[in-house]
Amino acid sequence: MTTFDSRSLGQASELFELTIAELRPVAEGVVSLELRTPDGADLPAWQPGAHIDVLLPNGIVRQYSLCGDPAQRDNWRIGVLREPASRGGSSYVHEELRQGGTLSVAGPRNNFSLAEADRYLFIAGGIGITPILPMIRAVAAQGKPWTLLYGGRSRRSMAFLEEIGGLAGGEAHIVPQDEFGLLDLQKFLGEHLPDTLVYCCGPAPLIDAVEAKCQIWRSGALHLERFAPSDKAANKEKGSFEVELARSGKRLVIPPYRSILDILEENGCKVTNSCRAGICGTCLVKVLSGVPDHFDDVLSYEDQEAGDVMLVCVSRAKSDLLVLDL
Amino acid sequence: MVDVRRVRGGDGLAEINDELDQILDSVVENTRLATESFFASYDKNPDPKVLAAWLAPRAWREIDYVFLLNEQIRRYGLEFERKHITLLAKQSFQEAEHYEIVGRAIESLGGTVPTSVPPEAKPWSDFLWECLERHPLAAIAAWNCSETSASGSFEPTFKAGERHDFAEVVRVYKQIETDEKFHVGLGRQVLAAYAKTDHDRDEILRAMRGMRDIAWKTFTPESVAQARSA
Ligand SMILES: Cc1cc2nc3c(=O)[nH]c(=O)nc-3n(C[C@H](O)[C@H](O)[C@H](O)COP(=O)(O)OP(=O)(O)OC[C@H]3O[C@@H](n4cnc5c(N)ncnc54)[C@H](O)[C@@H]3O)c2cc1C
Ligand code: FES
Ligand SMILES: [Fe+2]
Ligand SMILES: [Fe+2]
Repeated sequence: MTTFDSRSLGQASELFELTIAELRPVAEGVVSLELRTPDGADLPAWQPGAHIDVLLPNGIVRQYSLCGDPAQRDNWRIGVLREPASRGGSSYVHEELRQGGTLSVAGPRNNFSLAEADRYLFIAGGIGITPILPMIRAVAAQGKPWTLLYGGRSRRSMAFLEEIGGLAGGEAHIVPQDEFGLLDLQKFLGEHLPDTLVYCCGPAPLIDAVEAKCQIWRSGALHLERFAPSDKAANKEKGSFEVELARSGKRLVIPPYRSILDILEENGCKVTNSCRAGICGTCLVKVLSGVPDHFDDVLSYEDQEAGDVMLVCVSRAKSDLLVLDL
Repeated sequence: MVDVRRVRGGDGLAEINDELDQILDSVVENTRLATESFFASYDKNPDPKVLAAWLAPRAWREIDYVFLLNEQIRRYGLEFERKHITLLAKQSFQEAEHYEIVGRAIESLGGTVPTSVPPEAKPWSDFLWECLERHPLAAIAAWNCSETSASGSFEPTFKAGERHDFAEVVRVYKQIETDEKFHVGLGRQVLAAYAKTDHDRDEILRAMRGMRDIAWKTFTPESVAQARSA
């Protein structure tokens, strides 16, 4: 297991082989996976809103929010919705993964962290409940008031309803569409509440609607996370892959026959280099997640195998996405 | 993590790798000591002209590498893979850049950039050209030793740079330090890829040993003093 500190993220970013200690359906089309280290050791600490990268054996990398309890350091829980039109991420999780098996994951990382406020309004659509659930738990534990608006197609498709029922100090509005129609956003967002922060996660139409309603709110009041895949990934050419720059969150597509180094430079990201041929080792970059495909002549086989550094002038990716410490 | 001496690409040096490493370690150490001793004397009398004079044979090395590399390619290049021709040419281009930037640093210190071989660099230059005549891999071995030796001078140069505030020289040598990793790795790869016979290996060893005894000398304060009094 390799560990390194990602300064940009201010948190450890690690690559692990974890055991799938439990895999069970928690709603129609949703499974929850409980992941543990093989030796039962603690996993890195995380804060609500964090997600991990799951590196599936078919080479696909997908992000899943941690939806368990951060206080339980010996396991991570994720909830995965089976996308009907899956290109191989969630379908693999649902069809191929087995309880007792292992799973490569990287992280945790957090682009959706919970800021201080007097009160909170949480809006979740469908599987978007996953990052929201630990947030509510944290807010409830602090004894602060919270409101949850949770929509879904039907009650059966909505995960973690029982758990939500057990959380104190707030009000949960559970809104299955087949019973009550769409969420009444006007009622909750129609008036700006200066002491409230809004956290929203869900399908794109919901997020867009919430964004539109929050125009009248002060800037910074709305925090959101989109689960949607980027257009770029869908139009992926054979031999191309994506690189994410961890410090800025910027994503770049690396086409076939172009080097990562070229594309980084074209996008104003400077990396020391000299030979551009995999000989000098000066373009070494840390890999925070994803699986590099090494083509250099100078990294030791052990370093190549470990996969936590790469020479970006020649090496490429075996996974769809590489997250680099840049 | 990255050791350019362990670059992959051929096993022609397997039997002599240890000996080559010993030669290289020793020349790096001698160059480090020579550089430290130069800056110890420079500390007592920090005259930019003296620093410029110390850099002059280094500037000559850069431009002489350009000549050597191109002659190496012209004479022997077609025995190599095309990618190695390209990479040697790339090295040649970078050596030309080094001549340009070291030259600029020398001028900023009030010195003169050599346009013919300085007397104190002559033994070094003569040895390389003689190697080039002798064997297709000998000059590469000799300059690989010489370029490796330079790595011993970087640290003491950067430290002195902080004491005496010669930022331009430090900047130039930071760039050169990066490129030198390429040149050292490339040389080692080419030698390992094309050395086939014991004769090849003997020539490589001869060239490296010869350069081990020369490469560090122009880094000493004595060499600079002699050049300045001439
Ligand atoms: C930070 C983060 C956290 C996440 N957390 C969770 C979580 O907790 N639980 C969870 O289930 N998922 C989560 N996701 C989403 C998850 O990472 C995957 O995107 C999801 O599982 C779908 O992957 P897939 O390979 O099955 O489907 P994909 O093949 O990626 O397709 C998914 C859907 O998008 C459509 N689609 C495909 N390409 C495009 C395109 N270019 N533009 C628009 N639509 C397209 C497809 O038709 C399909 O309906 C998260 C995503 C992010 C970024
Ligand atoms: S630039 Fe030399 S190894 Fe990448
Ligand atoms: Fe040089
Ligand atoms: Fe060089």
